[in-house]
Amino acid sequence: MRLPEFAYLAPEDLQEAINLIGKYKNQYAILAGGTDLMIKMKQRLRNAPYVISLDQIAPLKTIREEASRIIIGPMNTLDEIINSPIIKAKLPALRQAAWKVGSPLLRAVATIGGNICLNTRCRFYNQSDFWRLSREKCFKAGGHICHVANKMAVCYSGFVADTVPALIAYNAIITLAGAGGTRKLPLADFYTGDGRRPNQIQRGSNEILTEIEIPVPGDDEKTVYCKYRVRESIDFPVVGAAVTVKKDARQQCLDARIILIGVGSAPLEAKLARDKMVGRSLDADLIAEVAATAAAEIHPVKTDLVAPSYKRKIARVVVAEALRAAGEA
Amino acid sequence: MAIMKKTIKLVVNGETREIAVEVNQTLLEVLREDLGLTGTKKGCNQGECGACTVLLDGKPVSSCLVLAVKADCKSVMTIEGVAKNGHLDQIQETFNEKGAIQCGFCTPGMILTTKNLLDENPAPSTDEIKEAIAGNICRCTGYVQIIEAITALAKAKNAQGGA
Repeated sequence: MRLPEFAYLAPEDLQEAINLIGKYKNQYAILAGGTDLMIKMKQRLRNAPYVISLDQIAPLKTIREEASRIIIGPMNTLDEIINSPIIKAKLPALRQAAWKVGSPLLRAVATIGGNICLNTRCRFYNQSDFWRLSREKCFKAGGHICHVANKMAVCYSGFVADTVPALIAYNAIITLAGAGGTRKLPLADFYTGDGRRPNQIQRGSNEILTEIEIPVPGDDEKTVYCKYRVRESIDFPVVGAAVTVKKDARQQCLDARIILIGVGSAPLEAKLARDKMVGRSLDADLIAEVAATAAAEIHPVKTDLVAPSYKRKIARVVVAEALRAAGEA
Repeated sequence: MAIMKKTIKLVVNGETREIAVEVNQTLLEVLREDLGLTGTKKGCNQGECGACTVLLDGKPVSSCLVLAVKADCKSVMTIEGVAKNGHLDQIQETFNEKGAIQCGFCTPGMILTTKNLLDENPAPSTDEIKEAIAGNICRCTGYVQIIEAITALAKAKNAQGGA
């Protein structure tokens, strides 16, 4: 299938890009790496008269450390994230997560900004035009039914962007820029939880993601990302989990974070599971208890190819694996 | 809307070409349809199978997901550029010898991915080989012979380097 017709725009600085999105409000698609957008356009899930490519804007490709913060430009490819010495040394879980996205062919082109802005997915939605024609349009495609859970007026499409749980566990802050100015917000707040429009940009804020900022983690904490997928070589996660464990000198947990994806329309923080950890030492019993609690906190719906009961079991395994790795010195 | 055209400069297999492309053409479409380089295969057309792999500035990418206009001023190597002066490259010879080829549809992508792997890492472990070809799907061989061929190539390369 071919791409639909569009006009191609490649602004050379950020202000020009912001002017363009102000001018063509809601009629444009932002092109970063294109590994997702090109498919969506071929499948006629996106139809934008204007495609605005950001790859000529040099400041969006920075990776630097300043004032105990790491600043990452959204146009870095996932390969550039993996190969960055700063990220390897300071943000190993982000490197792990970037490595687990797609295949090497995709990571050479796909960007971290694109991964952050990745739309939610569903086995009934992410299909060709022809395939979708055989059924009534679902909520996410602008219709009035859900083929996964057809009694509810809710879109359950799943959030599956691997780098995001690692970034949230690292307390990432993003910058969005639009005609109205620039604002910063914690990455977790960027996501709406609405499967139809899962982030603020998709809700129509007419903004561009311009920067990701991460405080350099302390020596007393460790973050790990673990992922389970059907085909180890290429797939989106069935479940992905980023876990941060912060320990005191007596090896007891001072603080922890558990962020899950693949289990709902936004990244999910397993707070009940986290609360069980504080003040206790992370032994095998506690890991089993916390993993079981996290698995009970999710409410999976069959938006991908595995059954919800299976997903719950996998969540338990993945969280336990991440906890074990994060608990190691 | 009239289809927007743009002239791009591509270095294809070492030869500089100026081509007027439609902005909604993928690099794959330009290679196959405008330049007649049909060695690059169109498989799934959505970045999953790796049949359309080319080396873009030396790195393997799925050409079905790259807009041709985004490849402006870059170098592209396709399978047609691997053999030199009518002689197959050692990678191609070894794939033949080891039976790492059956229907041949994945082979152009597999060869180019292998070329990039061995250029960057002359002594890959089996895990590194599997990791490198993760995006190139083969439905015939079960990958065993392909991994054997790449292992043999790495060994041969290192033996040469050591001599």
